[in-house]
Amino acid sequence: MAELWTMYGMPLAIIVGKILLIVGPLLGAMAYLTYAERKVMAAMQMRQGPMVVGPFGLLQPLADGLKLLGKETIIPSGANKFVFVLAPMLTFALSLVAWAVIPVNAGWVLADINVGILYLFAISSLGVYGILMAGWASNSRYAFLGGLRSAAQMVSYEVSIGLVIVTVLLATGSLNLTEIVMAERPLWVTALLFPMFVIFVISALAETNRAPFDLPEGESELVGGYNVEYSSMTFALFFLGEYMNMILMAAMTTILFLGGWRVPFDIAFLEFVPGFVWFAAKVAFVLFIFLWSRATLPRYRYDQLMRLGWKVFLPFSLLWVLVVAGALIYGGGLPPATVEVIHVIP
Amino acid sequence: MIEALFFYVFSTVLVLSAMMVISAKNPVHAVLYLILSFFNAAGLFVMLGAELIAMILVIVYVGAVAVLFLFVVMMLDIDFTRLRDEAQKHAMVGAITGGVLLGELAWVYSQWMGARDALARAAQTAPQATKGLTNAHALGQLLYTHYAYLFQVSGLILLVAMIGAITLTLRSRPGVRKQVISHQLDRNPADVVKIEKIETGAGVS
Amino acid sequence: MTEFIAPAFSPAYPEIFLAIMAMILLMLGVSTDKEDYRSISRFSILSLIAVGMVVIRLYEGGVTTFGGMFVVDGFSSFMKVLVLFGAAVSIGMATRYARRERIMRFEYPVLILFSTLGMMLMISANDLMALYMGLELQSLPLYVLAAMQRDSVRSTEAGLKYFILGALSSGILLYGMSLLYGYTGTTQFAGLAAAFESFSHGGVPLGVMTGMVLLMCGMAFKISAVPFHMWTPDVYEGSPTSVTAFFAIVPKIAALALMARILTGPFGNMVLHWQQVIILLSVASMVLGAVAAIGQRNIKRMLAYSSIGHMGYALSGLCAANQTGVQAVLVYAAIYMVMSMGAFAFVLMMKRKDRMVEDIYDLSGLSKTQPMMALGMAVIMFSMAGIPPLAGFFGKLYIFQAVVNAQLYMLAVIGVLSSVVAAYYYLRVIKVMYFDAEDEALDAQEDRGLNLVMMLSSLSLVTFILVPAPLITAARLAAETLLR
Repeated sequence: MAELWTMYGMPLAIIVGKILLIVGPLLGAMAYLTYAERKVMAAMQMRQGPMVVGPFGLLQPLADGLKLLGKETIIPSGANKFVFVLAPMLTFALSLVAWAVIPVNAGWVLADINVGILYLFAISSLGVYGILMAGWASNSRYAFLGGLRSAAQMVSYEVSIGLVIVTVLLATGSLNLTEIVMAERPLWVTALLFPMFVIFVISALAETNRAPFDLPEGESELVGGYNVEYSSMTFALFFLGEYMNMILMAAMTTILFLGGWRVPFDIAFLEFVPGFVWFAAKVAFVLFIFLWSRATLPRYRYDQLMRLGWKVFLPFSLLWVLVVAGALIYGGGLPPATVEVIHVIP
Repeated sequence: MIEALFFYVFSTVLVLSAMMVISAKNPVHAVLYLILSFFNAAGLFVMLGAELIAMILVIVYVGAVAVLFLFVVMMLDIDFTRLRDEAQKHAMVGAITGGVLLGELAWVYSQWMGARDALARAAQTAPQATKGLTNAHALGQLLYTHYAYLFQVSGLILLVAMIGAITLTLRSRPGVRKQVISHQLDRNPADVVKIEKIETGAGVS
Repeated sequence: MTEFIAPAFSPAYPEIFLAIMAMILLMLGVSTDKEDYRSISRFSILSLIAVGMVVIRLYEGGVTTFGGMFVVDGFSSFMKVLVLFGAAVSIGMATRYARRERIMRFEYPVLILFSTLGMMLMISANDLMALYMGLELQSLPLYVLAAMQRDSVRSTEAGLKYFILGALSSGILLYGMSLLYGYTGTTQFAGLAAAFESFSHGGVPLGVMTGMVLLMCGMAFKISAVPFHMWTPDVYEGSPTSVTAFFAIVPKIAALALMARILTGPFGNMVLHWQQVIILLSVASMVLGAVAAIGQRNIKRMLAYSSIGHMGYALSGLCAANQTGVQAVLVYAAIYMVMSMGAFAFVLMMKRKDRMVEDIYDLSGLSKTQPMMALGMAVIMFSMAGIPPLAGFFGKLYIFQAVVNAQLYMLAVIGVLSSVVAAYYYLRVIKVMYFDAEDEALDAQEDRGLNLVMMLSSLSLVTFILVPAPLITAARLAAETLLR
């Protein structure tokens, strides 16, 4: 019995503990992201935002959550019950599992796998299922239209995200997220990657269905899009999932382009600040860009959205993969080979 | 022990969901089961140590192909029960043919034997395992050198598929006014807006 | 890192050039404002001819490259020249028709170029994977071409049928390949041949046998040998006629080349085993091609069955499994190509009041209204029926000689009998043209190109008896390199 504990029980307990350590702060961050969104938008629109619950409205997210919990879950009569309930759970679960590979500090990662970036890409490409399933299972035209729009949109922008990731990989030579953060990049390579950073952030907006690409919700035409029929906890899960995905995308941006937990520009005297604080600060910065664009930009029309994805981003990022690869080869910026591959062709 | 457990979980779910794909009443459910079976296949790949292939399977098949599948199936308005009844007319013939084929396959595999040096010959093409060799390194080394020819030809095949899809579906519709952003930006208020001072009660001529 | 040594590209120069040309033409077609079909198709013909010259120029005996996946030898050069010639002619034949039927899109010649490229890769394949890639690159454009006339239900149906059955046959082929790989651990033809060395006298393991049969099924589909022929009449009838002409002229030659290479190469030691399968395919194709065509009124369907029959004869040449057999097959393939070029040029010219007609009885009394056209078609039909002294007769003669030499007397007898039966429907066309009451006349020919193709085709069929040497010699050299 004791052996069973040391072999399976202990590791399991440790892993569960680690998971809780990740999920706990994450949920807190997510709650205060909604608060931040309202405050930032209010500030940009010369309002005050939430001020009633708690000092400066700081308890507002908790109040919102409690309210949603207390409501009744309504399942429309024509809905496909199983899929209807599965969809929000899937969305929420997917937004959490991606965090398994995100390193928030040197060595602070649940699963340091070799193909970390591909794992992230795979999980983020699955997000579309929750929305598509919700749209279909609701048995409502608005929801279905929202679901279809979002599926087309997410699949389109995934393509350019993939190519952006490829360029970053070219410059780092590894699929492991920790190694991507630790890779030394000369300044000119960083400059070369800057356009890809811009594309990535914009595509991340589209991938998370955020303004100005929030057509799946499009409240002015589709009422509420895919989540029109959802209420109470099922709605809360979608809501949580959306904000969690925002944080995830911000974390991906941080890892790929902003140097993760490392001190900005390697300034020596700032090194007393622990790495995860830098990580959080950088994520917060990217999230601010998200909120900023929501407060500033009008929504894209559907054909404009598709045009941007397929006719602007895709050709440009394809071209840029070539440019970066060529520049790395001829400028000597290729990452050093880490392993020796012995292969004799018979 | 844990590995064996996971293997059985993955393979059982894989087989069951694959069976549900062809027997589910609702086509959308069938596609969802297909996705589930892709996932379990990816799990089996991870257990084999082929993590890259597992991820590619999820990204390509689940993330892109199955989405389009689901997309189409959701929009289709086909009476699948009627389709099924049609198919059931030939169920007997199908069952017999399938049964015979299955029997033959079982016979072939029951007498299976490989050439003596088959394994050694198959291993020749693989790169030798060195310390820190990842899937991506090994596959890349093989794909872009030894199999570069096949790689390029597959690229051509995909190009042809793309040309085909566009040729067969792209129609230029007359009368659609496309947005040309440069035209919009070129528009000058001075050319298109006329400001007139109108006398009260006179109107514009 | 081990230093990467680039493979030798020079044996594949023709293919590389063709691929680049196809892509350049594609970009030209996309970027020119009005879809400039004419110049694109002219450029494609020119590039096909150029590639053909490079193939002849680069002719060398037995070079492999790309890690042994790609082989260039006399056999491949011979077949490639045939294929390139056929493709160039069929693009040229399509121009007028395409404009009339409004399938005049620049993708048409580009797709034919890609398909031709696939055939060249197929002919040069020296590895199961390379074979499969070439096969797919060859057939994918064909599916699209069949459905090119997208406003026509028949054309769409033809494309879909062809695609579904083609995908099925590819699946069968791949399954066979996987069994072979599972047995030997290699996909290279040389490795396969080495592994099968010991099978020359019986004792083939069941797995290898199954793999080989499945592989042959997949390839039999591509040359539409019975019982894998079901798609042929429908696809031939439904596709736009110029596309049908391409289907009939070129892909079968390439598939035949592939079959010859595989059967004599990796399976060279298993003749006894594959011979029975090929004999079965051949006999069934010859008989069905002869019998089923009798009832057809649609000339495209008739030619479809006729092509099935012709493939049967070609396969029976393969059964001989020796150099004379392969040589006979090569000669037959070349003659078949010339005959179907002429026949389809004729079909493309059949129109009345500016509309295409396809019924055989629309030709009634053609000899009075269009004597030259009727004469040309009569020569082609006689040749297809195998009447001496036309080329078609010699094609069959060489085949049956090889078959008799290999002591497959039954096969030869069935072949001769079925060609007698088949003569009925070829001669019926001639009878309708010459002896039936005059019908409303077909339109006068304004397309000189088609006329030229048909006239040259019938002329070469007539004059083959005078100068047979070039073709026979070339075929002998090609067959020698294959069976060395």
